[in-house]
Amino acid sequence: MIMRRVVLIFISLLMVAGANAQSRKERKILFGSSYNYEVAVLGVGQDGTKVFKVWGYAKKVDDAIVQAKKNAVAACIFRGITGGNGAAPTPAICREPDAEETHAEYFDSFFATGGKYLKYVNLTTDAVPSGQDRLKVKGGYKVGVAVQILYDNLRKDLEADGIARRLDAGF
Amino acid sequence: MKKIFLSVAAISLSLAALAQAKKPTIMVVPSDVYCISNGYSQQFVANGVEQTLPDYKKMMQNDRNMRMAITKLAAIMADRGFPLKDLEQELKNLEQEAAEVAAMQGKEGGEIVESPIDKLKRTAKADIIMDLDFNIQKRGPQNYVNFNLRGLDAYTAKQVAGATGSGKPSTAAAPELLLEEAVISYIDEFNGRLQSFFDDMFKNGREIKLQLKRFNSASFDFEEEFDYDGETKEFGDIVDSWLDKNCVQGRFSRADGSGNMLKYEQVRIPLFKESSSGRQTAIDARMFANDLRAVLRKPPFSIDCKVYQRGLGEAWIIVGEK
Repeated sequence: MIMRRVVLIFISLLMVAGANAQSRKERKILFGSSYNYEVAVLGVGQDGTKVFKVWGYAKKVDDAIVQAKKNAVAACIFRGITGGNGAAPTPAICREPDAEETHAEYFDSFFATGGKYLKYVNLTTDAVPSGQDRLKVKGGYKVGVAVQILYDNLRKDLEADGIARRLDAGF
Repeated sequence: MKKIFLSVAAISLSLAALAQAKKPTIMVVPSDVYCISNGYSQQFVANGVEQTLPDYKKMMQNDRNMRMAITKLAAIMADRGFPLKDLEQELKNLEQEAAEVAAMQGKEGGEIVESPIDKLKRTAKADIIMDLDFNIQKRGPQNYVNFNLRGLDAYTAKQVAGATGSGKPSTAAAPELLLEEAVISYIDEFNGRLQSFFDDMFKNGREIKLQLKRFNSASFDFEEEFDYDGETKEFGDIVDSWLDKNCVQGRFSRADGSGNMLKYEQVRIPLFKESSSGRQTAIDARMFANDLRAVLRKPPFSIDCKVYQRGLGEAWIIVGEK
């Protein structure tokens, strides 16, 4: 009887450990995913800009802020921004669904640490976020920063580099 | 020989790559509902029925908010490679043109010939109309803007782009500021949809309307049968077969037909065709209709036709005479 209980407890522990191992793996994938943009629009920006709050994940707060800035630019390029707070939705600059893979080399250099993407992040709450904007999660931090993205400049540069299609292309 | 062949091939390829489709013109036109509800309208009695039509001239002379919205939209669209036709300037030009046509005389005293159709065609036109409507609403002490911008293909009458919604209410911001904010907010969504329309056009061809009509002098009607391509078919069915061969992916719909008219919609024409010199040239509805006219001038039809152009996207072929 005792032996049976011990076996059951052991199996339960194994299952819990297994579940944890999976969630850790999932978390790692989630942190590293290039599609994990969490964005909340703050309002209508100045002409040619978009203002929204974006979240980044990393082991350290500073890295999460950097990731959030990259996510902000990536969201404008690949996914578009949903509407809210009086602002209408904004479509993605690159409309092809596999733009990230098609121009992988370009975007690797574009999003490299200190890369060109920073040119379009005009303003952020760069001080270390606190409260709800700085959440300790398993394996690191989830940090939210408000950003102003120079959307029109970003679009024009991507068009000039041949990555995005101009509205009047072909005419 | 090989070198010459390669050079010719390279030149042909580069010409094809350089070929550009005919660029549609775009104009912002205030919606009828905006003009009429703000008192910029004219009353007409036509065939005993009273009609209310927008008075664009009066509106442009009096409505600062609309002028501001148009200016803002024009600046943004010019930045995107589509300088807009200006409605106010277009109306002034038309007035001036009418005066000049009336006054113009040759050295021998000849006057410019203008048919009633020419006069009718002298209106402000664009291939894509940006139909703009907004109103500034109040909720307690707050103002907010309802905004509705529609992109209409002037020839197919289809809405090809649109953006609509209400701005965030504000107590402090002036109505003009809220309107400017609405334009900035909605234009990217609008342009995104316009881009989808252009992408579809480049992939599936330009959508046009084509109508065949007949003068009473025509020697046959559209139900007459002909031997064509080894088959005996009604004239209308022969036109169907020609469209099937010449439209992109054979896409067209015969919307209506009778012995006197054939009406085709959703006709997808290629954007380019190869000219006799081997160059890729951009084509529109008129040039596409000209190709069909060339077929009708040959046996077994051997009939003259008039091609009547209605902008980039609609053409009529009137069978019987030029």
